[in-house]
Amino acid sequence: MIEAAGLSKHFRAADGTVVKAVDGVSFVVAPGEMVGLLGANGVGKTTTMRLLATLLKPTAGTARIAGCDVLADPLGVRRRLGYLSATTGVPDRLTPQEVLESFGRLHGLEPAALTDRVPALLDALGLTSCAARPCGRLSTGQRQRVSLGRALIHDPPALVLDEPTSGLDIVGARDLLDLLERLRGEGRSILISTHRLHEIERRCDRFLIIHAGRIVAAGSRAEMAAAPGGLEGAFFAAVEPGAEL
Amino acid sequence: MTAPNTLPWGRAVRVIARRDLLEFVRDRRTLFVTLLMPMAMYPVLALASTLGLRTALSDQEARQAPRLLAIALSGPDAEPLAIRLEQVVATVADQPPADWPAQLTAEPVPARAAQQQLDDGTADVWIDAPAGTVAALDGRGTVPLEARVSALRPIDTRRQRHLLAVVRALAEDARRQRIEAAGLPPSVLEPVVLAFAGGSPFESVASMEGILPTAAGGVLVLLALLTATGAFYPAIDALAGEKERGTIETLLLAPATAGEIVTGKFLAIWGVTLASLLVNALSICLTSLVLLRFLPAGIDLGVDAACLTSAALVTLVGYLGLAAVAAATCLAVTSGARSGKEAQNTLTPVILLVSGLAGSALLPGADGGALAAIPFAGQVALARDALAGAATSVLVFRLALSLGAAAAATWLLLRGAAAALGDEELLFRGPDVAGSLLTRPAPRSRPTPMQGFAAALVAFAALWYVQGIAPTDLALAVPIQQAALVLPLIAVVLWQRVDPVTTFGLTAPGGHRWPRAVVGGVFAGAGLFILGATATLALRGTHLSPAARDLAERIMGLLLDRPWWLSGLLIALLPAICEELFFRGWLLAAFAGERPSRRRAVAAVLLQAAAFAGFHLLPERMPQTFLLGVVLGWMTLATGSLVPAVLAHLAHNAVPLVLVALAADGHGQRLAAGDTTTLPGWLVPAAAGAAIAGLALVHAARRQ
Repeated sequence: MIEAAGLSKHFRAADGTVVKAVDGVSFVVAPGEMVGLLGANGVGKTTTMRLLATLLKPTAGTARIAGCDVLADPLGVRRRLGYLSATTGVPDRLTPQEVLESFGRLHGLEPAALTDRVPALLDALGLTSCAARPCGRLSTGQRQRVSLGRALIHDPPALVLDEPTSGLDIVGARDLLDLLERLRGEGRSILISTHRLHEIERRCDRFLIIHAGRIVAAGSRAEMAAAPGGLEGAFFAAVEPGAEL
Repeated sequence: MTAPNTLPWGRAVRVIARRDLLEFVRDRRTLFVTLLMPMAMYPVLALASTLGLRTALSDQEARQAPRLLAIALSGPDAEPLAIRLEQVVATVADQPPADWPAQLTAEPVPARAAQQQLDDGTADVWIDAPAGTVAALDGRGTVPLEARVSALRPIDTRRQRHLLAVVRALAEDARRQRIEAAGLPPSVLEPVVLAFAGGSPFESVASMEGILPTAAGGVLVLLALLTATGAFYPAIDALAGEKERGTIETLLLAPATAGEIVTGKFLAIWGVTLASLLVNALSICLTSLVLLRFLPAGIDLGVDAACLTSAALVTLVGYLGLAAVAAATCLAVTSGARSGKEAQNTLTPVILLVSGLAGSALLPGADGGALAAIPFAGQVALARDALAGAATSVLVFRLALSLGAAAAATWLLLRGAAAALGDEELLFRGPDVAGSLLTRPAPRSRPTPMQGFAAALVAFAALWYVQGIAPTDLALAVPIQQAALVLPLIAVVLWQRVDPVTTFGLTAPGGHRWPRAVVGGVFAGAGLFILGATATLALRGTHLSPAARDLAERIMGLLLDRPWWLSGLLIALLPAICEELFFRGWLLAAFAGERPSRRRAVAAVLLQAAAFAGFHLLPERMPQTFLLGVVLGWMTLATGSLVPAVLAHLAHNAVPLVLVALAADGHGQRLAAGDTTTLPGWLVPAAAGAAIAGLALVHAARRQ
């Protein structure tokens, strides 16, 4: 389960003013649920996800991943969370096999467990044929799948995915989203953000719309679909000036 | 599948080190700089220096080779003098004296022909032998000979020495004949004869004595530089490269602390640096073997094989520490960079600084003992002294000191790198924007750490350049030095628009408890001077370097010859205000930041104290000034005000003035000059009491 309670993150800008990148965000993503976090650029999506992943420390509020608090037990959070973003890369000079093995060891998996886990994951991600090729020679889609494998190697109960389909072609994006649906089916909590609303409008169970650091709208797939203009209409209605919360 | 909740200690470190090492060894740039460059560098340098040496030796040999000497003889006695010279040549044929020409010709010719021969170069010198010359040689008189040389073709020094040798031999021959004529034995002229037994001592055609230490010093500095360079690319790759590729986030998402990540990366970089060190050492050994074959036969290396082996061992062990500090330095310096390019730009001047530090160990008068704890300089000085055959006990002590200092420096640098890795602003702020230096920043309460470093560098450079132009008279030199410190600072403060009250602690110390802070500062400063001077003398004795002695004499001159108020202004007041504004004001505020954690406060105090010690330039004063800087930094952070530090500094520097003023019998003058042999027994305990009471008072006035 992913829980955010009054999560806030304030930065000091170059001109000395305080910027409230995330301002009192609260939500829950239940096990076996995939929730879409929608918002324009610079409204706090990535900051929220980095707070959940312990890459940033909240200014106020807190969050829990599978019962572990991001402030009290950041290492516990990392053991229970798989995080992937459009900017998380893979080492160019290591092979997918080596990437998965090294992160498996970092997460405390024993060599015997890795012997089974790594080939199975490579197979599930369609990377078996290029498992021994340096990541620098892989296509963007293959690299993103290696990244996903890195996020899944320790079999985390929760996944936070920040624009995971960015840079992927339509086939690559579909395959990745199909895989995420399977992972949801295994009972994982998944929070995903993307600018491509059509990719997730039929896959997510619920949606959160964030604007200026605050959750300005939330609803189930059915509720969003019922809004005028569907999910896209609900999104614009929530983020455009004058919109009622 | 479930991952364990806790990992065994060090497991994450090992995994990260292994992962990074794997990446480094697959990087062509790293392999080139680490392995290939040293293998090619030393042979090329050795070849160039050997060719240079051979050329120099050949040149020397050619310059020392005997030449022909042609003498044109004229005058009535030219013929008999020529015959006499032939006899002399025959006499010395078996054992030619020093500077004897390869061939001597002495032709009797008419005067006009002699001039002609001089001008066309056929003769080197023209000697006119008037009538009675040879008779005078055989008699008891002195023969005045005049050697004429050509204005068109002046005789060279080599041929001048040949002519002198010929004239000396002629005189010797005449002397022998006169002795025989007088019926005396030849031994009259040779009361003592020296002979070498067991072979000639002049077998070597040249000696390497004098050349070898210089060459070895150069190689040691090069070894330090190339070892540090071995850490260059791996360090850039390790953090800045990972940030650029977006892989650092993946490591930070792993269940490992920043300290474990940094330590793992450090081990990988150290491994590459050690490989670089070993390849360098191997290349030096192999090149030396080749070099020996290149050298001309008979060269005396003047090296003892046993000494060379122990020196190599000491060098290698000492350089293990150097490699660790180099790896940690490169990692710490690049930890603040967002991209590889940014890291490269930051690291390049650091590598140059490191080579300068290593080279400083070879400066004339550089004391290896004092340098032992200074990274890079210490290892080079240690290796140099090991090669020079220093005593084993001395080497072992200094090796232990060097390794201890390297371990401490490495630990501190890794702490800094771990702190930078956890810094959200450094991690996610994005690359630096070009031209930001010229953009006036928004007003802020206190400077950033980077502004602190920049100001320290500018001040140090300004101070260094001022040394070259400052007059020797302290009455002028001190104001110029202090101006070099604060004038750039004033410009920076105005440009950066920092709040001077917050930055420089321009507030009453300790609120209503300010009297305690004021009195405490004065007591502590005065007590610390006596304690510091006594400790320095106890540890180092009265031996001072020429620079320190010169400064002490100039200070004494100032104290004795100038009015007390001028001495007080120059020695106490001006430094207390200017240096405190800079070190405990600007630097401490920049490094500590607002509401610093305990660790950051300690690091800030240590950093500014190190800069304060470095600012005084004299190595023997650095320990004392460093400790004083630590105390003054603590006072400032504790009270939130600069006032106690200014007063403590003022009292510290005023003690010599007071001693001179109080002592009518010259006792105080000796004390002020650093001679504590006549210290009254109560002074040191009184100073310790004053220092403790002063610090306690300042502690009582600290901020809540």
